[in-house]
Amino acid sequence: MNFRIIKTLFIKDFTLFFKNRFIAVITVLGLVFYLFAYFFLPKTVDEVMEIGVYAPVMPPIIERIQNEGLKIETYKIEKDLKEAVSKGKVVAGLVFPADIMEKLKKGEKPIVKTYLSAELEPEIKSAISIFVNELFFIQAGYTLAIEVIEETIGPDMVGKQVSPGKRIIPLLVFFLLITETFGLANLISEEIEKRTIQALLVTPTRIQDIFIAKGLTGLILALSQALLFLVIVGELKNQPLLILITLLLGCIIVTGISFLIGSVARDMMSVLAWGVIAFIVLLVPSINILLPGAIVTNWVKILPTYYLTESIHRVMNFGYSWQNIWQNLLILLVYSLGILSVGVYILKRRYQ
Amino acid sequence: MNNNLAIVVEDLSYQYHKLLAVNNISFNVKEGEILGFLGPNGAGKTTTVKILIGLLKPKTGRAFLLGKDISKHMKEIQGEIGVCFEVTNLYEQMSAVDNLTLFARLFGVKDYNPYEILKRVGLGGRERDRVEGYSKGMKQRLMIARAFVNRPKIIFLDEPTMGLDPVSSEEIRKIILEERDRGATIFLTTHDMWEADKLSDRVGFIDQGKIVALDTPLNLKQQYGKRALKANVRAENGEIVDKEILLDTNDTPSEVSKLFTNEKVITIHSKEATLEDIFIKITGRGLI
Repeated sequence: MNFRIIKTLFIKDFTLFFKNRFIAVITVLGLVFYLFAYFFLPKTVDEVMEIGVYAPVMPPIIERIQNEGLKIETYKIEKDLKEAVSKGKVVAGLVFPADIMEKLKKGEKPIVKTYLSAELEPEIKSAISIFVNELFFIQAGYTLAIEVIEETIGPDMVGKQVSPGKRIIPLLVFFLLITETFGLANLISEEIEKRTIQALLVTPTRIQDIFIAKGLTGLILALSQALLFLVIVGELKNQPLLILITLLLGCIIVTGISFLIGSVARDMMSVLAWGVIAFIVLLVPSINILLPGAIVTNWVKILPTYYLTESIHRVMNFGYSWQNIWQNLLILLVYSLGILSVGVYILKRRYQ
Repeated sequence: MNNNLAIVVEDLSYQYHKLLAVNNISFNVKEGEILGFLGPNGAGKTTTVKILIGLLKPKTGRAFLLGKDISKHMKEIQGEIGVCFEVTNLYEQMSAVDNLTLFARLFGVKDYNPYEILKRVGLGGRERDRVEGYSKGMKQRLMIARAFVNRPKIIFLDEPTMGLDPVSSEEIRKIILEERDRGATIFLTTHDMWEADKLSDRVGFIDQGKIVALDTPLNLKQQYGKRALKANVRAENGEIVDKEILLDTNDTPSEVSKLFTNEKVITIHSKEATLEDIFIKITGRGLI
């Protein structure tokens, strides 16, 4: 290993990376776009459910529950309530008849009409129906024959749910890292296809010097962008060393993937084709974080990016520490070394 | 090991799967000598060069460059050789200066002036342009310049003038001779017999992986070629016809005398065998 040669090759690779206009543009624009996406998305979660009510005589129980996370909007005309539901101003509208309290007193069944938005999830629709039933069961003077004891498993997120803006961070970090795969794989593929690697290898340069320089180029570019992004969005304050190590392992994985793609690709188009396949497969775990429950989670655990994005998500959004995610990091380390070794081996075979 | 030998090759072989590309070849190249290595496509020229410059490992045999065994000291040797490949392999998104500077740094050369080298190969004024905008001839000149960047003791040139116009080819030949005059040993691989004849101190013919002849062009011509006089004469019906009289035979003086007495000679000149004629005579096939 010759540090002078590695430094020279690193400067050359870095220069060539940015001489490719396409790669330079997607690198810089990507960072700008991801920052825009982050700042565009809401950073808070609206926990108050707004329900519209039309009631000539307001039942006392409705006034009582207003302070329990439910916002009640009253309407003087039923037509206005219906319109508010259809325009999405309130998630549901309840119409109480004028004689509701009299009927309850007599033990009769009053009719409560409910307007529900067509876009409302079925679970919320049935929850509202159950909620209204229970509400008037209590209003009628009965006590529910059940006592509920709540125990929160894991960090209690009541009042501090993860906003979409925070949930998207692992996805954006993944995008930043994987973007570098295209650039580095293209550099490797060009070095082989244009036979410049032969010109290097008839100098005192050794094949391992070339691999180290390429690996460093990919690693530094990916890591610096991810760190720059996290510094700008202010997410590097909590556990910076833990995040740095997680990102470093992620960068080793994308460098290994770049070596694999670079060894099979023949030109820029095939780099993009192979890169997109890798991109789609590895993207899944971060989608699972952005939209929890959208994807069956068990099989996702075979993907290395699961451990990368989950670790970032847990540390940044739930305040996890070394103790909580060391297993994730260990698996990530095994994956990163494994993928890098396979990448170097295949690239070496391809060249020879 | 003979100190005056820059390249020593002993029983070298290389096999690509079932194809024996280089078959037990042996030869030497003296310091400051230009050896033309000739043969048709697929004869084993480039494979031999690739072994000598360290891109391929020989299956059998040994080779020494500057007295050092290539199987043990290749990286050390590579610091003292220059290579110009057959196929252009430059960093085309970089300028000529950046290309040369990169290789100068890899070789650890400090006191070099890229502008001077580029001027010498006729690229003065275009030093800072991206190589992708260069013509084929300009790229080839830059390939040559790159091979000289570390002032090598041995230079391997693989088809250095292939596909170039006559002016560019002549300029490159001039530079090759200048490098020889500087003291460099030159291993020139080509299938251009005329070029080899003009540049080489000795030429080696390789065919089907074997060296079939190795000597100075003059000796090869004397050994395998025939000398003749070629004349254009006007026949009785007014047509111009060719007549050829072999030299070095017992009948030569009388034949020459008859020609001038009986025929109306329009032009006459001596004819020597070309290296191509000799190659065909030795191998029974042409160079393409």
